[in-house]
Amino acid sequence: MTIVADRLARSFVTGRRRARRVVEAVQGLSFTVEPGERVAFIGPNGAGKSTSIKMLTGILHPTSGDATVLGRCPWRERRALTRDIGTLFGQRSQLWTELTPRQSYRMLGAIFGLDDRRLDRRTAELGALLDAEDLFDVPVRTHSLGQRMRCELAACLLHEPKILFLDEPTIGLDLLAKQRFREMVVRLNEAQHTTILLTSHDVADIEYVADRVIVINHGRLIYDDSVDRMRREYFATKLIEVGLMHPVDRFETLGASVVHQSDLSIRLVVDTQVLPVRDVVDALLERLPVADLSIVDPPLEDVIASIYRVRSS
Amino acid sequence: MRATFRAAMLESWANRRSFWTQLAAMFVNDIAWVAFWVLFFEEVGEVRGWARADALMLLAVITTAAGFVLGVTGNVRRVASVIADGELDAALALPTPTLVHLLARRIEPVNIGDLVFGCLLFALAGDPTPARIAVFAFGVVTAVFVYGGFLLALGSLAFRTGRGEVGELGFHAVTMLASYPVDIFSGPTKFVLYTVVPSAFVSSVPVRLLDSFDPQWAALGAGAALLSATIGVVSFQTGLRRYTSGAAWTRA
Repeated sequence: MTIVADRLARSFVTGRRRARRVVEAVQGLSFTVEPGERVAFIGPNGAGKSTSIKMLTGILHPTSGDATVLGRCPWRERRALTRDIGTLFGQRSQLWTELTPRQSYRMLGAIFGLDDRRLDRRTAELGALLDAEDLFDVPVRTHSLGQRMRCELAACLLHEPKILFLDEPTIGLDLLAKQRFREMVVRLNEAQHTTILLTSHDVADIEYVADRVIVINHGRLIYDDSVDRMRREYFATKLIEVGLMHPVDRFETLGASVVHQSDLSIRLVVDTQVLPVRDVVDALLERLPVADLSIVDPPLEDVIASIYRVRSS
Repeated sequence: MRATFRAAMLESWANRRSFWTQLAAMFVNDIAWVAFWVLFFEEVGEVRGWARADALMLLAVITTAAGFVLGVTGNVRRVASVIADGELDAALALPTPTLVHLLARRIEPVNIGDLVFGCLLFALAGDPTPARIAVFAFGVVTAVFVYGGFLLALGSLAFRTGRGEVGELGFHAVTMLASYPVDIFSGPTKFVLYTVVPSAFVSSVPVRLLDSFDPQWAALGAGAALLSATIGVVSFQTGLRRYTSGAAWTRA
């Protein structure tokens, strides 16, 4: 096993005096991860995703429970473990803003004990893999967020980690940059067999990157299965939002249910197990004066509510 | 550490105009202090055994020591906010001693100005014979450890309180109090300045050694340096177990 979490728990004390209370951020979390797996850790804000990943990287100490990552206890053997893992936090930077990424990589290379030749070879490899070579010699402060995240990803891959922990890596990125980032992570996993553990509250991150999904809510594991199965079970519906050029009186929904209608917009829910989204979209484009159309997944909160409903029944 | 420090130097040097502007601004500020002490002692002559030359040496010691602590280990003043805001994550993801990396990670050009000014002031007004240079260096080193250790210990309280302001309050208290001769205070206040807020060891004790070297005071200064640095390092290292990465405070 690459990662073993055994009843991991972490609580935080918040407030003072009368307002003092204990928040159970993670409660008895247990799971294992095999080498080369791509696992998504999902849940709404405050579910305990980041806390879990930070315990597994040794950044936080658990209140109770145990864990091993590559055979090491993360919080007791943190420094040794960091040589074999890479961590990327969407809101924390490993790069110096005033320096170019290449200058920061020199510092990181020295910390990880890479000699100049190995560092240069690795930087060139990552530049090609992440399509970021032209960004390496420009000061980080001039990068867009998407460019910066590519350079951050290169920074945490310099020492060829066996596991990559990604904590909300796509947060704040635009759609194009998100998609590009996801493709790079998958490419990395396929090319170098790097185990990926990703936290996100963006359903698309999971669908594109992961082959297994762990859902946590209120610090507890509520679902652990393949993404395919989850997609079949819980992402069977799609939401179609249509903007109209002018109002319409009535139209055929082809079996999709209308959840909202106003003069210039319609929102429909399609059960993809019954009806392909494409058929509904084709029909809408043919029969309605469509100005704008978007297809979105159900909100993660709805998916989690569905999981709860299924589990409790 | 060398690699981190080199990157921090490159970063502070990246904007050269800003580097020199900050350095020059601090020089002007320090010259204003020199003018203040010269004019002050011109008027009053002597205060409780302290004359103009002593005040200038006090300024030389504190600017050199504080300039080194705040300039070369620039994050020491920010330890509390770094902890409270969860900014330690990046340092904890590296196979380096966290404290060393954190301290070497930032250089503050404005305080480098202090460091250079302090050395120059001693060279110009401190009668720098080899013996006095040695005593000055000893006094500055003890002051660096007392000052740095105090700021580190105070900043590490954020592991328990989760608040970043505590470090800044401590910085202002110890810096302001160390800017004046300890002998102008008396009674319990003076006791506090040798213990709880050890500003006496940051400036007045090294000046006393320059004035007339006393092995007992030297030992006291060295002891205070060792104690303060130990408290600072132990507070930080034990506090790491309680680190919350900012989570407790954003979720509260």
